Amino acid sequence: MSLRHLPARLWWYLRELAGETGYEHYVVHHREHRVAGAPLTRREFERRKSGTAMRCC
Amino acid sequence: MSIFTPTTRARPGVRSIATWTAVSLVGAVAWGVVALVRGEHISAIWLVFAALCSYAIAYRFYSRFIARRVLKVDDRRATPAERLDNGIDYHVTDRRVLLGHHFAAIAGAGPLVGPILAAQLGYLPGTIWIIVGVVFAGAVQDMVVMFLSMRRDGKSLGQMARDEIGRVGGTAALVAVFSIMIILLGVLALVVVNALAKSPWGTFSIAMTIPIALFMGFYLRVLRPGRVVETSVIGVALLVLAIAAGGWVQNSSWAGAFTLKPETLVFCLIGYGFIASILPVWMLLTPRDYLSTFMKIGTIALLAIGVLVTNPSLQNEAITKFASTGDGPVFVGGLFPFAFITITCGALSGFHALMSSGTTPKMIQKESQVRLVGYGAMLMESFVAVMAIIAASLLDPGLYYAMNSPGGVVGATFQSAATAVTNLGFTITPDSLQAASAAVGEPTLVSRTGGAPTLAVGISEIFSGFLGGTAVKAFWYHFAIMFEALFILTTVDAGTRVGRFMLQDTLGNIWKPIGRVSWLPGVWLSSAAVVGAWGYFLYTGVTNPLGGINQLYPLFGIANQLLAAAALSVVTVVLVKSGRLKWAWVTAIPMAWVVAVTMTASYQKIFSADPKMGFFAQRQRYADAIAHGKVLAPAKNLDQMRQVVINSTVQGVLAALLAVLIIVVIVDGARVCLQAIIRGRELPTTEVPYVESTIVAPSGLFATADERRELVGAATGDGIGER
Repeated sequence: MSLRHLPARLWWYLRELAGETGYEHYVVHHREHRVAGAPLTRREFERRKSGTAMRCC
Repeated sequence: MSIFTPTTRARPGVRSIATWTAVSLVGAVAWGVVALVRGEHISAIWLVFAALCSYAIAYRFYSRFIARRVLKVDDRRATPAERLDNGIDYHVTDRRVLLGHHFAAIAGAGPLVGPILAAQLGYLPGTIWIIVGVVFAGAVQDMVVMFLSMRRDGKSLGQMARDEIGRVGGTAALVAVFSIMIILLGVLALVVVNALAKSPWGTFSIAMTIPIALFMGFYLRVLRPGRVVETSVIGVALLVLAIAAGGWVQNSSWAGAFTLKPETLVFCLIGYGFIASILPVWMLLTPRDYLSTFMKIGTIALLAIGVLVTNPSLQNEAITKFASTGDGPVFVGGLFPFAFITITCGALSGFHALMSSGTTPKMIQKESQVRLVGYGAMLMESFVAVMAIIAASLLDPGLYYAMNSPGGVVGATFQSAATAVTNLGFTITPDSLQAASAAVGEPTLVSRTGGAPTLAVGISEIFSGFLGGTAVKAFWYHFAIMFEALFILTTVDAGTRVGRFMLQDTLGNIWKPIGRVSWLPGVWLSSAAVVGAWGYFLYTGVTNPLGGINQLYPLFGIANQLLAAAALSVVTVVLVKSGRLKWAWVTAIPMAWVVAVTMTASYQKIFSADPKMGFFAQRQRYADAIAHGKVLAPAKNLDQMRQVVINSTVQGVLAALLAVLIIVVIVDGARVCLQAIIRGRELPTTEVPYVESTIVAPSGLFATADERRELVGAATGDGIGER
């Protein structure tokens, strides 16, 4: 761990936190687990995922 | 197999002992200053130190004890995220990312509003409850609920209640959850209305969030699919522009169009809530959720830095006279039980049990990480509450009471407010009240109840102290209003949706078509029912001559803490059923406490003969006056008198209903516990059987040296974050 990696790590965290990498992870998961059929398209994935997350008070 | 197994016990090193001794000493000194200094203004830094040192000790020792001895977390056991991984909702997520997600889900306006209102009792009672409450109750509840839900593939609290206690308790819990959500939404919407009423600046900038969110939704969906960070950066920039533009609107000919009466705002909000809840989530909800998450984390971080840099001193007293007399203007009631009812989120919040079961447990990588995600996120929220009580306590008390008393007490003018505040025993001149309003760019700060404006004044005070000086105070005030309104609106939107699903689910048992999520009339009807229900509370809150916050906030607090009582009772039942009677006190003691608090408060609110305290006594007093044709201040005519009668009746009945529901849950839970104790053996629970885990990951925020070696050995890596 060094300071040189700090910007990259922050960028990684931001993207993960925002859920930007969700679809990428899903595609990797789909490939690695050899799930039958083609993976969902990005739009289909976002639609399936977007359940309502309740927000607290 | 793994060095991560919780049974490993190493002797503490000298460095560790030295560090924790130092932390304890700093914490003890800070607590000493906070608790014992009287008659002079102490620095806010002491509150920050007392909080941080207490959190550190609690996290290091108490949460570890709970994880190891009580829950017996087992990192050799695969979590649902690993077993059921579908890449969509069950998905192994980095612990630090999940901490961020979970924090964003639990922290909203609650930890900001409660402590501000509780500042009426002084800063000390609130601070003690926020810190002690989170350590022994709030964070424990969140972590244990999260753990038990994780062991059940991410089941919701309601489902666990039904499975583990039985149908009666489960149904009572479900009805309670629904009613509590309606009250919560009504009260939160009321906070927004009170912050925006007659404020063209605020109204304009909040209104602008709708086109901004729609644009972001379109951008994310069509122009740059999936580019969340980029979209959020653009969104935040537009948001800041909208706040600045609000200042120009206020001084332009448009000001009139955005100067709205509270009643008008109520209907805007109800209409907005209905439309927002039937639109697809990607249009409004998701983009606004991104905005509010980034604003939340950014503002809280800035506030913490601001307190450290500007080092403000607290103008509030440690304990005010209202703590013992119980007749303060902000809310009625003394220290016990009302300090513990007013501050919910930040110390202990039943609502978190809904958030901690369900989504988050489906994403946990390793069992031991519930400590970081469950306990840790709640400590962070508690810190937000400490920031809020600091912000409220650094205001001049005269200004605080002028802002937070109902209109019936302080009137509408600077003169009447100054007189009323003097009668309360504090001082502020009409001129300084006017100057304070002008400084933040508002026509008036008199009777701006609900907490949001007070917090905004506090935040503008702190921020302008190190970012831009007094010239930009008005900007920071409206920035803070925006920050709160934004996530309240997100909660209103999301809450209406969740309420709708619950309603559709329940009604679907009676009449099939309404349960179908794709049948539009069913969606519209149930959305309208939910919006109508919280809209009713919002409307009565806004028009209540006695003050909506004054009347409704205690009901919200009682409801939220009753839910905590129910959640703690569900988890206690599971602990006892799974043969952990010895450790059941970990959740049973906070449960007993919160039952004592809520039952005392409910009792007083229902049965008190004092019309200011008891809903039914209040009803009686106004009904008697109507019978004699008299009008009692602050009501101005018989219509308002009748309104008070109806409001008090509804609130009293609701308070009684909620109390009964929770008693049912607790008694039914106690029955199951007794069964387990009498039989002297474990009762079957719905825990999912053991499956061995194949992944290796650290448990805490930072990987220890041992964990890093094991990670290398397992050659799994831990994402770029661990490099």
